[in-house]
Amino acid sequence: MAKKKTLASKRAKVKLTPRDKKTLARLEGLADRVVSAANARRDPYVDIPSRTLSNVRYSPRKRILEMGKSTNRRQLFDLSQAKAYMRTMLVSSGCKRLLDQGKTTSLRGLYYMLKHTIEGAKENTFDEQNECDTIIEDVEVLLNSIREELHLYAENRGAMVGNITLTDKGDEINCARIGSGGYAIPSIVEPEIIQLSKKQCGAKFILHVEKGTVWQRFNEDKFWEKYNCILTHGAGQPPRGVRRLLHRLHNELDLPIYCVLDNDPWGYYIYSVLKQGSINLAFESQRMAIPDAKYLGLRSIDFQRCNLSDGVRIALNDNDRKRARQIARYPWFEKKRAWQTEIKKMLSNDFKLEVEALISKDISYVTEEYVPERLEKRDWLD
Amino acid sequence: MATLKRKKKKLVKKKGVRLGPSKGGPSKGGPSKGGPSKEGKPSTGTKTVRTKKVGTRIRPRPAEGTGVPTPSTNGKVRRKRRATAQSMAASQRDISVSEFFAKNRHLLGFDNPRKALLTTIKEAVDNSLDACEEAGILPEIWVHIQQTGTNRYIIGVQDNGPGILKKQIPLIFGKLLYGSKFHRLRQSRGQQGIGISAAGMYGVQTTGKPVKIISKVSVRKPAHYYEIQIDTKINKPKILNGRGDGVDIPPGDKGLKAIAKHGIEWEPQPHGTRVTIELEAKFVRGRGSVDEYLEQTAIANPHVTLHYLDPDGHGRDYPRSTDLLPPEPKEILPHPYGVELGRLAALLTEAEATTLVQFLISNFSRVTPGVARRLCRTADLSSRANTRRIGREQIDALYQAIQTTKISPPSTDCICPIGEQLLLGGLHQVVPGEFYTAATRPPGVYRGNPFQIEVALAYGGQTVTQNVTRELLLELVEETDARTIRQFLINTFNGLGADGADRIVKSSGLGTRTSPGKLKPKELAKLLEAMKNVNISEGQTMTVMRFANRVPLQFQHAGCAITQTILGTNWRSYGLSQSRGSLPKGPVNLMVHIASVWVPFTSESKEAVASYPEIQKEIRLGLQAVGRKLGMYLRRRQKVKQQSDRREIFLRYLKEVATAVSEVNGADQARLYEQLVKVAKKRTAEADMVLDDRGRPIEDRELDLGDNVLIVDPTQHQANIQRVRNQDASQEETVA
Repeated sequence: MAKKKTLASKRAKVKLTPRDKKTLARLEGLADRVVSAANARRDPYVDIPSRTLSNVRYSPRKRILEMGKSTNRRQLFDLSQAKAYMRTMLVSSGCKRLLDQGKTTSLRGLYYMLKHTIEGAKENTFDEQNECDTIIEDVEVLLNSIREELHLYAENRGAMVGNITLTDKGDEINCARIGSGGYAIPSIVEPEIIQLSKKQCGAKFILHVEKGTVWQRFNEDKFWEKYNCILTHGAGQPPRGVRRLLHRLHNELDLPIYCVLDNDPWGYYIYSVLKQGSINLAFESQRMAIPDAKYLGLRSIDFQRCNLSDGVRIALNDNDRKRARQIARYPWFEKKRAWQTEIKKMLSNDFKLEVEALISKDISYVTEEYVPERLEKRDWLD
Repeated sequence: MATLKRKKKKLVKKKGVRLGPSKGGPSKGGPSKGGPSKEGKPSTGTKTVRTKKVGTRIRPRPAEGTGVPTPSTNGKVRRKRRATAQSMAASQRDISVSEFFAKNRHLLGFDNPRKALLTTIKEAVDNSLDACEEAGILPEIWVHIQQTGTNRYIIGVQDNGPGILKKQIPLIFGKLLYGSKFHRLRQSRGQQGIGISAAGMYGVQTTGKPVKIISKVSVRKPAHYYEIQIDTKINKPKILNGRGDGVDIPPGDKGLKAIAKHGIEWEPQPHGTRVTIELEAKFVRGRGSVDEYLEQTAIANPHVTLHYLDPDGHGRDYPRSTDLLPPEPKEILPHPYGVELGRLAALLTEAEATTLVQFLISNFSRVTPGVARRLCRTADLSSRANTRRIGREQIDALYQAIQTTKISPPSTDCICPIGEQLLLGGLHQVVPGEFYTAATRPPGVYRGNPFQIEVALAYGGQTVTQNVTRELLLELVEETDARTIRQFLINTFNGLGADGADRIVKSSGLGTRTSPGKLKPKELAKLLEAMKNVNISEGQTMTVMRFANRVPLQFQHAGCAITQTILGTNWRSYGLSQSRGSLPKGPVNLMVHIASVWVPFTSESKEAVASYPEIQKEIRLGLQAVGRKLGMYLRRRQKVKQQSDRREIFLRYLKEVATAVSEVNGADQARLYEQLVKVAKKRTAEADMVLDDRGRPIEDRELDLGDNVLIVDPTQHQANIQRVRNQDASQEETVA
């Protein structure tokens, strides 16, 4: 590690942004506390805001999930926490190195940066990437600095197409002329990297679909052209980049968002995350949640309403039923009668429907009839 | 009798015209196949070996009476009466008990040659121990097994007991169901008086050689020498030597010479008995073997010295660990609760004519005049009724009255448990381990019989092979006479077993057949390394030793109340891992002893204890008692280990933390590390107190487990390593 350090110092000083300086100061504060604790012969510890359901609060006024005040103490001299504490310090030092060098790396990159065998033991600092990922999230909440500020990014996931032109690291990207693959939404979509402008956006709304395959259907049918919208997908549970971009598009360009998701507990949950934020990332809800997002489909009544054949039904399993009941009890769904009937209907149906089920009617049924009809009738759940 | 009659009919049918009992010969020439022909057809005077116990061959047939057409395959033919009551009466006769057992020898534990060997030794040793203890002599027993041919062995068992009177010798060894123990209620090993004579009978049957007995009552008196065969037909001994009178061997040197001339072995002793039986047998080692039996006998009888010479010429001694004889068990009267209706009737008729109350008081334990009167009142009988005038129905009423009346449980001072201290001593002497504990339960009662449960447990964490130093190994290798390394390991280290030896040899990379004497220093180092690294106790399950009145039970473990109770106990709460419905895992040796005036065995061969709820409950409580102690010990050990583990973990991570922190804020890494180490030491100070210089937990003063616990350093355990005794003629011995 010493070797790497000299390498880094040899390099020319990178220019730090004010944001980086703030993050560095926080990192150093964390390290200073360890030194002072050791000086005083006390156990060093860190208090990490807990990222659990019990520490998450729904704010009915802001209509988003907010993190509570409770924290978990992580001590160095506690048998079950010693390793996690050591890892927390490792991740901090890794981030410091990234900031110093003005570089960003993927989560996996940081994992490899920090992974090594502990001196005098047959043990690795990290064995799996997910061990590292949770510690990174801990450091985020601990320093109150988001991942982007720590110079970390995740794999690109999700795509966008539509009548909009944006600037990505200085490149102008016209999302109307992006081909069949669409614009891959990057992991970091902060204003430093992507600039949006109202002038360059002709779209009237955003249609967010669950997966790439459905998105492909809409793109091939040129749905976005016909209805003048932006078409996005999040490859299942949308990653932070997609959610942040949707948030920015919604707030900066005043575009309403409609979601077309599967009719199953998982689809409901995706919608819930988009709208209110997730438990794990409650500290970022401010920057990501879109309380005005609308749920267009699929609905539990669609099986009868669209006359679907029996073959497209997928039976619910115990897990699904449990999850559905859980979702029905979420405070932001609890008071909404429409949602309660929706979930109840799915449970009484005892089957779920994927968006692809509509293809059984006609290949383009979803793009030519289903979605336009819903939009026309303003038939959605809020 | 009806059944027999019908059978006879069938027999005659087969034989055609030959009706009824024909005198003499034809029996041998009769059709030999098919069951019925075996039915004692010939009349008196002919060979009678074929006679079977009446009633063993009940074959129900539909036809009743005579003259009824018998449905048969070859059409309906009206048959003549095939045998008359008179003709059949001629073949109906007594069956000697010895004939019965000669045919049903599996009932006594002689089902196969392997078990026959063990049962013979067992019966002889048990008898010797009973005799010595009754006479108040500290028992010393010699067991010698010698192979004379394929599947033929001579077994010699000698004791230093009181000896047997001349006229009794033939009866004891040559007559089934002859003994002193059957009619009394008293704790002893033998119960029925079948064992040793049955062994002799088996020997005679399989080899034709008689049983040889030498018995000496005192130094000055002559020793008696007998060669005996049991006459199965009449259940009487037949003396072969000295023209049916036995031979007297004079005392002193002259006698010793005479003994040598007869070609029989005799360890010079002032008094004692030696029985020699040649029999068809098979010698094996391992589970259910003679080795195991003797080892377990030594555990349960710490006052006994055993000398054992096996067919391979290896000798092993089990010296006594105490000079204290167990107290003499008292004989008791039966308790009313344990007496069945028939027995009650028999007692009444046997008893001298007296009043009913008097009879009850003098024939049963715990029946006071008050209780006796209450019994009479409940049964609606006069307390002054004459015992001779009591009818069947009245006996029944009396029996019912006994069941409903509350009678205090029998006195339990007739039971002699081994005792916690002696159990610990015995177990420690024989089983390697580091932690020993024992529990003797207070006596209990089942069906009117008092009994007592004792449980002892040995826990051996570290295997002996892991603690051997290079010097000691070198010494052991030099003095061994084993031909291969594998043999050397098995012979030298107790409790290692063939499986463990194989694993060590494999991991050392040496050839299985390498001679230990020819090991090069480098190879020796490899062997040592393997011995240290192979974890023998991995996957080991609990070893259970069952005892009834100090006799090891080696077979039918699944059917035994002891095993069932062990399986039904939750050992997980005592720090052992256990999967559902199986024995717990770990290097644990558990012994359970049931002492009773009448142990309820499931069969005559005395292999398993019957599951009476009272007995099972006591066993469970005993197991829990030792389990708790074990749990305390293991938890304590665990705690100490955790402390040292803790420090290790902290120290491991401190360097990483110090480096990371110094990287972030530029603090002095070395200084920070030192400071953190200091904090870590402060936090794990407890670990220092209980660790010795080798990093192993040392004796722990805080842990008070009571006095029925023994904790030893396994490295110092003498039972672990079998050293060659150069002075003795006996040499290295294999592991039982």
